[in-house]
Amino acid sequence: MYLLPLGLTGRGRSDKVSLQIFTGESNVQNISKFIWSIAVILGCIAGSASAEGDPTAGKQKNAICQGCHGIKDFKMAYPKVYPVPKIGGQNVDYLVSALKAYRDGDRANETMHAIAADLSDQDIEDLAAYYSAVQ
Amino acid sequence: MLNRTLGCLFALLLGLSGVVMAEGTDGAQYIEDKGCVGCHGKDGNAMLMGAPKLGGQKAGYIVKSLMDYKNGARNNAIMSGFATALSEEEMEAIAKYFEEQPSTLTVPKH
Repeated sequence: MYLLPLGLTGRGRSDKVSLQIFTGESNVQNISKFIWSIAVILGCIAGSASAEGDPTAGKQKNAICQGCHGIKDFKMAYPKVYPVPKIGGQNVDYLVSALKAYRDGDRANETMHAIAADLSDQDIEDLAAYYSAVQ
Repeated sequence: MLNRTLGCLFALLLGLSGVVMAEGTDGAQYIEDKGCVGCHGKDGNAMLMGAPKLGGQKAGYIVKSLMDYKNGARNNAIMSGFATALSEEEMEAIAKYFEEQPSTLTVPKH
């Protein structure tokens, strides 16, 4: 594993701290690996930050949602008749957790499971961003 | 005769007012007694971002959600515990109460 900056060891000479990940490689190679490690770590951080939803993208992905959640007083017929929830203005974190629960099987609902099964984490974040903000 | 008629009327009115009062107060009382307010707030407009807003939500949907938590169709460690402790009548009273609260929930048309 090159990810951890453990290559910063003072192995060898006591008067010089060298960037060593593996012994037997030149310092140039080690420095290059170390820089890559930092880049990968920064990339991971940036990746998790970009998981934040984009409401504009969410609006473009919501066509299938509208079939039920865009119709006032729309009701489902199975397993018994009940109204679908209003989701406009709902809390964003709740919308994310609801869609993930449908997708991952923690919420048993055939319709919503079928729809959520095709959604990536980013799709879910985008849809949640859109619905939480929409009037 | 008159006394009996008045007595009946009085009893009837008393009975009616009892029903009205029960409908008006149960839900509000339950949400405090059963612990709903801790996450969902007194008017259902949640204090915690991870919990859904329930103010103005469809009562039928709230009842179904509570039943799903109770029977395991919805797997959630927190809500399963709360819902298991509720009867269907209590669920309906709670749902009706939340539905009648002021709402910021919408049905977006676009």
